[in-house]
Amino acid sequence: MQRKENETPQGQAASVLVEFLEVAITAVVFLKGVYPSGAFERRRYMNVVVQRARHPQLRYYIHATVSGLLPFLQKGMVDRVAVVFFNTDNVPLEKFIFKLTVNQSYGSSVEGVDLQISLRSFLAKLSVSESLTKKLPPDCRWEITGNFQLLPETGTSKEANFWIPTDTKQWEQPLFITPIRSMSSDPLCLQFYIEHPSLSESSVL
Amino acid sequence: MDSRLSNSSSSTHHSNSKKRKKNATANNTNQKTLGVAWGSKSLSASSCSSRKSPFSDFSSYMAHKNCKLQNQFDSEASASAARKPIFSGVSIFVDGFTVPSSQELRGYMLKYDGRFENYFSRHCVTHIICSNLPDSKVKNIRAFSAGLPVVKPTWILDSIAANRLLSWVPYQLEQVASNQPKLSAFFTLKSSKMSEDTFTNALCQVEPDVQDSFPRVGQLKERHPSEVGEMVEVCRQISNESNDISSKKTDVFMMEEPIGERVICDEEKLAEANSSETNNERNTEGELDPTYQEPSTSFSIPCSDNQNVHQFPSSEATGSSKQCHSTLTDPNFVENYFKNSRLHFIGTWRQRYRKRFPTLSTGLNNGISNSNKSDIKSVILHVDMDCFFVSVVIRNKPALFDKPVAVCHSNNSKGTSEISSANYPARSYGIRAGMFVRDAKALCPHLVTFPYNFEAYEEVADQFYSILHRHCNKVQAVSCDEAFLDFTDAMVEDPELLASSIRKEIYETTRCTASAGIGGNMLMARIATRTAKPNGQCYITPERVDDHLNQLPVDALPGIGYVLQEKLKKQSVNTCGQLRMISKNSLQKEYGMKTGEMLWNYSRGIDYRSVGIIQECKSIGADVNWGVRFRDMKDCEHFLINLCKEVSLRLQCCGVQGRTFTLKIKKRRKDADEPAKFMGCGDCENLSHSVTIPLATENVEILQRIVKQLLGCFYIDVKEIRGIGLHVSRLENADTSKQGTEKYTLKSWLTSGSASVEKQKYHMGHNKHNSDCANCASSHGCIHSQGSSFQIDNKILNIHVSGDPISTPPPLCQLDVEVIRNLPSEVFSELNEIYGGKLIDFIAKGKGKCESSSSLGNSLEDDAATCKEEDLPYSDPIPLNQIFSENKAMQHERVLGSGHGSCSQVTHNSNIERDDLLPSSLSQIDASVLQQIPEDLKAVILEHLPAHRAQDFCSTPAICPGRINQDSVGVDTSKNCPGTVNHALNDSLWAGNLPSWMDKFKDSSCLRKLGEIYHRSGFNSQLSSVLPQFLSEFHHLDLTQEIYDETVNIMCELLKQYVKVKIERDIEEIYICFRLLKRFAVKSQFFSRVYNDIFPFLQAAVDDNYGGSLFMP
Repeated sequence: MQRKENETPQGQAASVLVEFLEVAITAVVFLKGVYPSGAFERRRYMNVVVQRARHPQLRYYIHATVSGLLPFLQKGMVDRVAVVFFNTDNVPLEKFIFKLTVNQSYGSSVEGVDLQISLRSFLAKLSVSESLTKKLPPDCRWEITGNFQLLPETGTSKEANFWIPTDTKQWEQPLFITPIRSMSSDPLCLQFYIEHPSLSESSVL
Repeated sequence: MDSRLSNSSSSTHHSNSKKRKKNATANNTNQKTLGVAWGSKSLSASSCSSRKSPFSDFSSYMAHKNCKLQNQFDSEASASAARKPIFSGVSIFVDGFTVPSSQELRGYMLKYDGRFENYFSRHCVTHIICSNLPDSKVKNIRAFSAGLPVVKPTWILDSIAANRLLSWVPYQLEQVASNQPKLSAFFTLKSSKMSEDTFTNALCQVEPDVQDSFPRVGQLKERHPSEVGEMVEVCRQISNESNDISSKKTDVFMMEEPIGERVICDEEKLAEANSSETNNERNTEGELDPTYQEPSTSFSIPCSDNQNVHQFPSSEATGSSKQCHSTLTDPNFVENYFKNSRLHFIGTWRQRYRKRFPTLSTGLNNGISNSNKSDIKSVILHVDMDCFFVSVVIRNKPALFDKPVAVCHSNNSKGTSEISSANYPARSYGIRAGMFVRDAKALCPHLVTFPYNFEAYEEVADQFYSILHRHCNKVQAVSCDEAFLDFTDAMVEDPELLASSIRKEIYETTRCTASAGIGGNMLMARIATRTAKPNGQCYITPERVDDHLNQLPVDALPGIGYVLQEKLKKQSVNTCGQLRMISKNSLQKEYGMKTGEMLWNYSRGIDYRSVGIIQECKSIGADVNWGVRFRDMKDCEHFLINLCKEVSLRLQCCGVQGRTFTLKIKKRRKDADEPAKFMGCGDCENLSHSVTIPLATENVEILQRIVKQLLGCFYIDVKEIRGIGLHVSRLENADTSKQGTEKYTLKSWLTSGSASVEKQKYHMGHNKHNSDCANCASSHGCIHSQGSSFQIDNKILNIHVSGDPISTPPPLCQLDVEVIRNLPSEVFSELNEIYGGKLIDFIAKGKGKCESSSSLGNSLEDDAATCKEEDLPYSDPIPLNQIFSENKAMQHERVLGSGHGSCSQVTHNSNIERDDLLPSSLSQIDASVLQQIPEDLKAVILEHLPAHRAQDFCSTPAICPGRINQDSVGVDTSKNCPGTVNHALNDSLWAGNLPSWMDKFKDSSCLRKLGEIYHRSGFNSQLSSVLPQFLSEFHHLDLTQEIYDETVNIMCELLKQYVKVKIERDIEEIYICFRLLKRFAVKSQFFSRVYNDIFPFLQAAVDDNYGGSLFMP
């Protein structure tokens, strides 16, 4: 957790955030039980017990995706990061959304400990949030999407090339929001909530 | 613009990963085992691991594991190069969640030559590191820490920063460090030392500072460690200086620590009547009392005479051989058990005694303190029957008087029962209590043994005490056959003559002999009896005290038991004369403050106790540890039901009910053989579990239910149980607990209130006359902190003492309508009763008035002129200003001053007896001082204020900024008051450090409440944390008040703006608030209206920001 001193507060926050997102996304995937629980192992992050993917591919996917976000996070271009679960027909069933605001004008340095405490509470809350979520049907897929405020111009950087525009899999019915955890501190403000379709729809599924 | 991008979407169809799945499941079991073993020392872990490992049992597994962990640690430690041996010799165990984490701490220990233990062990660990402890561990800190220091993790960080090992003392966990009294303790301190309060306050201020600095790691890192040390030092200096106050306080704290652990039932002296000085000393003595037992009495079992609860360590045997012997065969075991128990007899005797001589035993209290102070030479007589249990049995058999006789339970041929008591001829053969009968018979073949005769004991004890009470009105019963008599007031010419006449009378009535000792105090009297025995008397005149003590072996002194005697022997102290050579200081250093002082005093024949103090028992219970054998759970439960019956009977007998229930179990040790004593308990582990319930009870069924639960906590094989005890503590008087505890009824605090009202009236008048002099600031504002508090205090005490709870409540005209109206309904009805129903009319009349008074708060800030028009003398701002500036100068010494005049009406009603130091409402607190107090301290103060003063509660915060302003600038109040606050309109209800809505809404009673609660929680907290409290208190508010549309609108407006403020950054907060609101909408019409009004707005706002609606299940 050692960070360079010359980083901007946004940069510091972003790198902490990337680390955190990797853990949190793994936690979401674990929570939803897409993979058998043996696919994860217990680790300690920020002094709480978390899960870490054992399979290198899974681990790599999450890691690479999230670290691909880093430059954009630093610039404050990312609006939200979502973990979306689909059924076999590619209809989204549930989205776990991290809505981010990085205050670009924030000047002073980041208090690492404070940030850690706040982020830790997300992990703690998430681990007991299973009852808030929906039960997924067997054989479902998931992906990580990022909502950007502007399209990064391809070719500007190497990382930008990894990201491809995707057709928006919008909700087809009115959606509901269940907040899980919020934190608002400078320079990072993070909201974590679940989106799911209205109840009537879910009964059909 | 919002565009979406997706990284390579990974699909994970289960079919794709069949191989992985297999792999994973295989690993799965493996991992689980690991997880459990890692997380706990539970037995399941052991069974799991032992199944496939070579370890024979759990302990060997753990030993192996610990060994392995140590090796790992060592190898890692040697790998990390260039380390500084800061922590050499230190071995830490991290308990629970810490910042930094246990892993980081481990890293530090690796780096700096320390050790890190994964599992707690008394032998390896030197320090326990933790940041927080649960209450149960704090309460029983010794069991948790095994006496090791419990230190905060900052100790390690600071040590590393300082590059040397710092003392852990300043880093001790606050919860554990008993030398840091809490602020609230200072406020509730009912000590006559109050005159030093300025000092106390200073202490209060320093302490929070120090405490504050600990939890913040980040800050501490920057702060130079020496600074912290300095602060701590200052704090300590202060506490040293204040020995008078704080050491006493700590004494009190210490007493809660396990000093009394071994004492099953310590009795508290009802010494409230005495001044706190002597009170304290008494208490100290009281602590020692249970061990105060003359060693040469007829039985040597260490059973304190004050105990109401009895253990049966070794001397039990059933009376006749025909009787069933164990829980296995005897369905009425418990009953029979206690029927045949001598110790039970001694214990329950006291209750009988008290019933028989009720006036005598309770009426004594008042005179005591007087006699103590007077210079008259006191004469104390100690009377003790000679080997009571034997002589009573043989009192009708004169032939046996000079024969060796012993009392024991059974007379069986094996002689495995124990001698309980032996007479003097028998003792000359070397027969002692506790001996097996067969050994005794070997010493003295013609020894005659008898069983107990409890009826006879009872009869003789009653005769004994009637004689004593006839001769003296101050009798303190120690046991059924032993008592102290105080003849100081009786002006006896010749104490020896008196003693012999009493002894003669005892002998003639009971045909049993008694010995008597006479001395200047209880100690000397008791020592005299020792020389007098058997059947004699001895008078140690004050002149002969020194001679007598000189040669007395130390163990003859009460309070010196085996352990202490051995320690003294090591110092080659065998007699009191030798003990006297040692200075008091070194005694106290060696044996602790209390014991040291006791040794010093006793070796000089000094004893401050006085005769006749009635002792209340703190716990009642019953133990059975003889003959306890169970085959299965059913046996055990049956036994417990009977035990509960017994305990319940005992509770009823004493007329008390209890709240805490403790079940103690003696469990046979694994390797223990069947005990030598038939059906004895043998070598046992002692286990106990306890539970506290909110409402005191003595009900058998409740008891049974609780006990059943408690038994479940043990997870024990019933076959292993060798003894069971059930104890009830936190006793309450059965009568009072039925009616609600007397102490807390309104009447009783009105009593104390009226005592102080007089005082305050005086100050009030005084104040008006001299409103311009500086004096008034202190006399008015600090009513409670200066000398007067002492007087008030005494008055309250006196009232309690005289036991005359009826006092006149303040006249009706003095009551504040607003206060009365806001009282909870039950309090109101009680008050109404006191006033004979006039209160309702009063309220009705006051309605008109109340309008004006509620606008008072407004007018105060708005415009001083209005105040004058209304002619309210207490809101005149000009003297206020002066008072205030005066106060400012003193604010460092005084946490609580005043400045606000509007207390005059309030104080009459709301003096709460508990808080002698605290002003009765927030209005008396100097707002600016309050502002400067750290947050946590502020919360404590606010918490201690009576909650029902809603009105000025709200007006005060509104005034706060104005005050500060006015003071710093030095401009007149009336001009400078922030009318701006009022003009700030709807748009910024939540703006500012002190949200303006609090000011705006104070004239609506329910929202005022909200403001008050919000205020109490310290302004900056979130609405969601305040709402539950508000909503739950909402019911207590004036429900007769109609729900005005306006109130609903205001509430809605408030919430709307809260949504606006929070929606973007903290949706969780909004979510929680509205879930709460929804829940309360079901119960309250008001909230259902508010909820329905605001809900569409909320959903719209969420939709704007998040593109969906909030899911409200």
